[in-house]
Amino acid sequence: MLLSVKNLKTYFYSDAGVNKAVDDVSFDIPRGKTVCIVGESGSGKSITSLSIMRLIDHPGEIESGEIIFEDRNLLKLSDAQMRKVRGKDISMIFQEPMTSLNPSYTVGYQIDEALRLHQKQLNKKQRFEKVVESLELVGIHNPREKYGEYPFKLSGGQRQRVMIAIAMACEPKMLIADEPTTALDVTIQAQVLDLMKDLQEKKGTSILFITHDLGVVYQIADEVVVMYKGNIVEKASAEEIFKDPRHPYTKALLHSIPIPGVTPRKSRLDTVDENVDYLSFPKEIR
Amino acid sequence: MSEIIYEIKDLKKYYEINLGLFKKPKIIKAVNGISFNVKKGEILSLVGESGCGKSTTAKLILKIEEPTGGEILFEGKDITKFKGHELEEYRKKVQIIFQYPYSSLNPRWKVGKIIGEPLKLNTNMSKKEIKERVLYLMEKVGMHPDWYERYPHQFSGGQRQRIGIARALALNPEIIVCDEPVSALDVSIQAQVLNLLLDLQEEFNLTYIFISHDLSVVEHISDRIVVMYFGDIVELKSVDNLFTNPEADYTKKLLSAIPTIKD
Repeated sequence: MLLSVKNLKTYFYSDAGVNKAVDDVSFDIPRGKTVCIVGESGSGKSITSLSIMRLIDHPGEIESGEIIFEDRNLLKLSDAQMRKVRGKDISMIFQEPMTSLNPSYTVGYQIDEALRLHQKQLNKKQRFEKVVESLELVGIHNPREKYGEYPFKLSGGQRQRVMIAIAMACEPKMLIADEPTTALDVTIQAQVLDLMKDLQEKKGTSILFITHDLGVVYQIADEVVVMYKGNIVEKASAEEIFKDPRHPYTKALLHSIPIPGVTPRKSRLDTVDENVDYLSFPKEIR
Repeated sequence: MSEIIYEIKDLKKYYEINLGLFKKPKIIKAVNGISFNVKKGEILSLVGESGCGKSTTAKLILKIEEPTGGEILFEGKDITKFKGHELEEYRKKVQIIFQYPYSSLNPRWKVGKIIGEPLKLNTNMSKKEIKERVLYLMEKVGMHPDWYERYPHQFSGGQRQRIGIARALALNPEIIVCDEPVSALDVSIQAQVLNLLLDLQEEFNLTYIFISHDLSVVEHISDRIVVMYFGDIVELKSVDNLFTNPEADYTKKLLSAIPTIKD
């Protein structure tokens, strides 16, 4: 196992009380595999990933639990040690390619930054070559020219490729992708997903993929974790989840999306019932 | 069903971009001579990627933008020539549901006022009549009457989209342009809103012009589909035909890119 999350609890405190955003969540990420966390807004999927990176800010607090990454508990590391993990061992891609790049620096500079921080043995020229190589790897044409471009000149898909290039620059063991394709067009989405699968095959990176799009999950996941209101309600291999969903919430979620050629056209879709507390059903963890 | 309400002929919309004082402006052909019909009571979808001109087409139909060339005939009359009373009447018949339920509602207004606004502006109804009509509309879109006095921020995205739909229905329109009405919503909420749109269409005999980039949704809801690419129509077909027998290369590429759960 590359990473194990054990009994993670992340709470947010406010005058109105405690919000248990992540409430006792455990799952594993094997080496070289893709684990998908699926859930709706507010289910705690993004907070789970931010907790792994230890990027939870006040008023949030990681209450208890363990995040074991290669025999080290990330929650016990000092801030300085954690900074060495971020970007080098575990990196992250965010949802909005339009806002997560710095508009005032060139694309090359921003990829180079990760190398400057984590690969100090390289000199300037070696780093430049590595940046060009990583731009090439994510499928950007004319990488040498693109090195000096500013983000505003790139399209959404290209920016997301640059984000992936930054994340992959130090060849991390794990990549956390928080809805990386939600803001992109379908054809670009397909390209980005292919790219991630490709990189995984070449480099053996484990991927934690966070999404609400079940179609995407079907395309890339090995294991699926279904989250609902801060809890894991079902955990199984991708095949099992789609063939034999057991938890009522998973079933409702799967039935709420139309599938071309299967769902009768213009039929009324099943919906997740807001009046049902799906937590009252037993959890289906396989 | 086959009665044609819109006849769009060689519609063009160009935008000029100034590159500097002494340079020639660059011309962006957002919509580049497209023609299609909209039939009464159908759901016609416009699909394509960002920048393909689908939203511009919708804006032209709504008469928010004026076309550079071509005609939009609504029940046989060219809407670009509408003025005064005729324009007012047209605006009542054509409504829109926006993509983002967060930014399309006035945060300082209560739900009742938001839904009642079109009635206040366009009809001679008394306050009491307006309130009755608003409550009726809220019931139709599945909202509790107690929510009349609430503000938009007290609702989730799906509920806010219901407010937007009720507002669009207020004046008994014939046509509703739905601009990506579910793309900002969670999957489970998407299903609720799609169900609601289908129910309302049946009940009020509406025509929808549905803009989306989500082909699974489009396949589920549409009668006919217009595929757009860089300002042109590359394919226009019934939904059955398009999905089983796509001809244009771009359509094939688009269809193969949908991530579905089916192998």
